[in-house]
Amino acid sequence: MPNKIAGHLILLITILGSYVSTAQKNNNYPKPDDPLHVKVKKYEALTLDNHWNEGTIMFQVYHPPGGKDMPGFGSHSDLIDATGEMLVAYSCKYAITKKQVDKKIADQLFEGILKAEKVTGVPGLLSRGFYKTDEPQWFEKMWYDEWHQSSAIPGYRWLGDQSIDKLVSVFHSLGMYYELCADEEQKEKVSDLLSRFIGKIVDDNFRIMDLDGKLTLWGNMCPDLPHNKLNSLVALAAVKVAHQLTGEARFASAYKLLIDTYHYDDRQLLSNHLYPKSMRHIWDDYHAVRSLYMVMKYETNPDLLNKYRMTLNRQWHVWKDITFESESTIFYIMLYDLITKEDKMKDPSRIEVLKKMNGHARRMRTFNVPNKDGTKDEIRTEYDHASTAFIRNYWFGRYFGFIDSTW
Amino acid sequence: MINWIKKIRFATLMFLLAFIIISADNKFDNEIIAPEGMVYVPAGPFIMGSNIDDPDSSPQHIAETGAYYIDKYEVSNVEYAKFDVNHKYNEGDEERAATINWNQASAYAESIGKRLPTEIEWEKAARGTDGRMLPWGDFYDDSFVIYSKTNTRGQSIAKPASPYGCFDMAGSVWEWTSDWYQQYPGNTHDMEQYGEKYKVIRGGSTFNNFACFTTFHRYYVHPIDTRAYPIGMRLVKDVE
Repeated sequence: MPNKIAGHLILLITILGSYVSTAQKNNNYPKPDDPLHVKVKKYEALTLDNHWNEGTIMFQVYHPPGGKDMPGFGSHSDLIDATGEMLVAYSCKYAITKKQVDKKIADQLFEGILKAEKVTGVPGLLSRGFYKTDEPQWFEKMWYDEWHQSSAIPGYRWLGDQSIDKLVSVFHSLGMYYELCADEEQKEKVSDLLSRFIGKIVDDNFRIMDLDGKLTLWGNMCPDLPHNKLNSLVALAAVKVAHQLTGEARFASAYKLLIDTYHYDDRQLLSNHLYPKSMRHIWDDYHAVRSLYMVMKYETNPDLLNKYRMTLNRQWHVWKDITFESESTIFYIMLYDLITKEDKMKDPSRIEVLKKMNGHARRMRTFNVPNKDGTKDEIRTEYDHASTAFIRNYWFGRYFGFIDSTW
Repeated sequence: MINWIKKIRFATLMFLLAFIIISADNKFDNEIIAPEGMVYVPAGPFIMGSNIDDPDSSPQHIAETGAYYIDKYEVSNVEYAKFDVNHKYNEGDEERAATINWNQASAYAESIGKRLPTEIEWEKAARGTDGRMLPWGDFYDDSFVIYSKTNTRGQSIAKPASPYGCFDMAGSVWEWTSDWYQQYPGNTHDMEQYGEKYKVIRGGSTFNNFACFTTFHRYYVHPIDTRAYPIGMRLVKDVE
């Protein structure tokens, strides 16, 4: 009899254990014919349940058996992007609903970005991602050798080698949060973070410097070194936003220096390639348009505004013919419309695309998981790609009147 | 009459001078014939390092090499696959640079009687003796590097060569050197990565920011555990 009870107990514990270990995994995906607002609601829940990592949003999450039932198991290279997209989404959502539950999520996302800095132990140095762990996990080997043990928060590891596109995600999302959602205390925290993050970049001669004191592989806006002309635009937008939200004169001086001495206003005119077509990188235009939106929001000099508009016109030469379907193309045209007031989004075919927007389905992927003895196991497992751009597009579109709440 | 004599003397002198120069050039050409696919780099000093790059590239200083030959191009997939039959690459990528770890690069070099360049040799081949920032000069243009995955070795739009005739020393893939990542003489910036754990890679990859393309930029990578870094090789041979 005692053996039978023990057996039942073990069975019960096993069932409960398996429930607890998978409790975080939300499988409630929308149906293809669900209306847009239902899809968004379900993807919000999927994102918060499956991708949440202490206020940040994991861009990709790996489920067992390849992954583990622990927060932060997946790809960290684009964590700041996904978190920034969700912060824009919930800032816009709160601006519409005025519900504290939405503001609370936006606030937690902002705190997540603050933790991405705190974990590095260096003021102004933001990690690409972080997670709590007893030991390094295998997914670290999928990226460059840039993982560090945190000296500031014991038990955490963080990914270095920050990049320019994440700088754009930071000043764009914090700018939206500041404007639409943050209270006075949070606004001060936003200002302080921008002061440290962008201030450090300015102090390092417009370079994102890593923990080892070297320029990161994608962090170069330096006037003394060859750099992508898009990065000249990003540098201008970054110091412009920093000046606007911190009020610190040093950022106005940096903006003036970049224009008067280094002619970044002229360099940024060629921030996209037109010819040959093989050199066109339209993904870069997504970073450019977010930078243009922010810098043109705060710029008042008509000559500079004209130059920024010229850059946008060069981009539109390509974008006018691009198939309008992906997350970034939808957001690009929303921002284009907000800057130009040309109402490109009112085209009936584009409205149909907006109504049919959707998030990412769960997929299967095979990983070569390294063992401690140097061997590798081929493991096929489920992984989720964050649908934060879809959620961001929806709430941004709702706030600025591109999307109807009844869709 | 005296003027005519002076003119004839001067003309004779010029003729002799020209003869000596042309003879010397011919002699040079006859003696230094680089092996196929390689170029000759003469012995002598050059400007190495930089005071505007990362702290590990400083100070700018004078370094010196012996004479050597160096490959015009990075070693391709099809070339490396002749040595390592397990080397995999996509169809159509035969002429793209092979990406390998340091041990593989070193073994391949030995198998064909060449070796990996030292850091000093790599930098001199890329920048010549005038201290230039990039292999073609001091300015940057996207058409000077392999920018698209559709381009193969040496097929950037402008196809610029380094002072000694090497291609793709900026961009394409990073290139292994034989050296451990060590502190330059006179450098005061201590780094825990210095020592005999990491090898130096040079030249940047098209995927990374353009500062990595500069002739003086250094980066460090574990010789075996190369993770996602695209690293290839360009080999040297001693002048006998």
